[in-house]
Amino acid sequence: MARKYTLDELLIITAAREIRDGDRVILGVGLPTTAGAMAKALHAPNAILMMESGIIDFQPLVPPNHIADANSCRGFSYATDLFSMFTMTYRGYVDMCFLGVAQIDRYGNVNTTCIGDYYKPRMRLPGSGGAADFMAYAKATVLTMRGGEFVEKLDYFTSPGYLEGGDARDRSGLFPKGSGPIMLLTTKGVFRFDEVTKELCLAQLHPGVTVDMVKKDVPWDLKVAEDLTQTPRPTDEEIAFVRRFAPTEAVGRKLMYELGITNVFRKAAERGK
Amino acid sequence: MAEAGSKVMTAREAIGRFVHDGDHLVIGNYTVGTCSELVFEVARQGKKGLTLYSQSGVFDVEILVGAGCVDRLVTTYVYRAGGKEGGSAVERALKAGTLLMEDYTNYQYNARMVAGMHGFSFMQVLEGAMVTDLFRKRSFMGEDKYRVIQCPYTGKQLLTVPAANPDVCIVHVQRADKLGNAQYWGALGSVAAASLASRRIIVSCEEIVDHDVIQSSPHLTIIPAYRVDAVVEVPWGAHPTEVLGYYNLDRIAYAFFFLSDTTEDGLKAWMDEWVYGCRDRQAYMDHYMEKHGSHMLDMIRAKAYYSAPANYGSAFCSSWDDEGRERTMGVTPEELEKILEERGLLYG
Repeated sequence: MARKYTLDELLIITAAREIRDGDRVILGVGLPTTAGAMAKALHAPNAILMMESGIIDFQPLVPPNHIADANSCRGFSYATDLFSMFTMTYRGYVDMCFLGVAQIDRYGNVNTTCIGDYYKPRMRLPGSGGAADFMAYAKATVLTMRGGEFVEKLDYFTSPGYLEGGDARDRSGLFPKGSGPIMLLTTKGVFRFDEVTKELCLAQLHPGVTVDMVKKDVPWDLKVAEDLTQTPRPTDEEIAFVRRFAPTEAVGRKLMYELGITNVFRKAAERGK
Repeated sequence: MAEAGSKVMTAREAIGRFVHDGDHLVIGNYTVGTCSELVFEVARQGKKGLTLYSQSGVFDVEILVGAGCVDRLVTTYVYRAGGKEGGSAVERALKAGTLLMEDYTNYQYNARMVAGMHGFSFMQVLEGAMVTDLFRKRSFMGEDKYRVIQCPYTGKQLLTVPAANPDVCIVHVQRADKLGNAQYWGALGSVAAASLASRRIIVSCEEIVDHDVIQSSPHLTIIPAYRVDAVVEVPWGAHPTEVLGYYNLDRIAYAFFFLSDTTEDGLKAWMDEWVYGCRDRQAYMDHYMEKHGSHMLDMIRAKAYYSAPANYGSAFCSSWDDEGRERTMGVTPEELEKILEERGLLYG
């Protein structure tokens, strides 16, 4: 019987499958770094993994704590600075980047800065970091959204997707032709962008999810692909890799915290003896 | 007695002498290896009215904003602890109207430092950001947050940011000599640019090494001695953040900080215990060991993974060969002296 997997494993593995052998990939912390590690270990051994702090072509050792975590690499081939990391992206040397999303609109424009008024925010979120420039100049962007929301209008426009849709992005002359987001991965399914209108379009559903469950989260009449399918099942090999490389990612944040806190108290109690 | 040229001093003296109320202060480190002890000392000394620059304003910014040191913040990324129910010192200060904040992208922020480092007045940044709210929504920088100019060569519209030359940089590195030559390796980020853009530089390091060590590995030096004002030796000086080659992130201590940081009272209690309650880093580490035991530090201590040595050797160690003859002209010093005399080329 095929091995069982968690939702987090499905998301990591689905993202990892977007990476092709030889791709130069900018990875953010969490899901993307684990996805990158899996791709490099299993199907894309010549992928060049990069972090924006200037750590290039690194060999993952353990899941990084953040995007400057050299302690989590078993060596890397090129130590450059952040400035050069972005200028090389500008010049077209980065094939793919992965970004997390707090709010997304119909055309894949992204907010990661604030909820509510920018100057007096209801919630102040991290901000751009590298996101705006990577999404502008990487050839392709994979977006992931876990706690975020679909909105008609972003509270703050942090990173450019397809602007007003159609050929708006290419027409602006500000971005590499044909660049932009290629996928949005959520806890319910996989979205792609319509080739002509550049509108988000539901392409795959995760197990146990219906189209109505997805539509409930979307404030506009969501397009659904004619060939809507179920998100492909991870292979046993993929599941085994993710569970072993990044067990804290595989089980999801909630369970990780619960078990982690229990473990801290258990160890403290042992020392007390 | 202080050694000639030595800039070694305590964190208290360095911050007291070189960080002033109202300064533009930049955190040299980017995400990793935060200059925690120097940050704590700024808070302990209660510096006021700072304009704070931090490339990735996480631990450092939360402490300094929480301590009430900061009026204005320039950054690209801030931390928010505890998801939707959580919060941060930055968020609380923005809501209270006690903090003004200017958002840039990582590249734009770094470009301001690079321009400052090289003495330019502005730097070109990536024009795609013109369509975003980063460009449209401005805080205290106003019109000068960005300016658009026309490229004199291509005619293209270019987005630019102004140079930043902060008054003082605080930065933590792996090692330095007493003169201030500072060596840093790992995630290079924007550490060199943030440091070199600044007018004054305070370096803290895990260890002070002999000048010979620096001379045999100059590729690791990111700040030359003549730019440095103070060198502070602080083992565990970045804890609970990490220093490559010395220790990893202390995930448990870090998590406790961010759990506390979700509320104003929580952060105050944490600061009372770890910042104001410890007069220096030694006291902080003593308190840590007393509370958690030394095994927590043993778990995160780095194992060695040495860089292959770069051979800085050369073929010749002087102009004279083994027989004492000059390598090009083939004469001994005595023969040379004689020839110069014969040709009438010597004076005096």
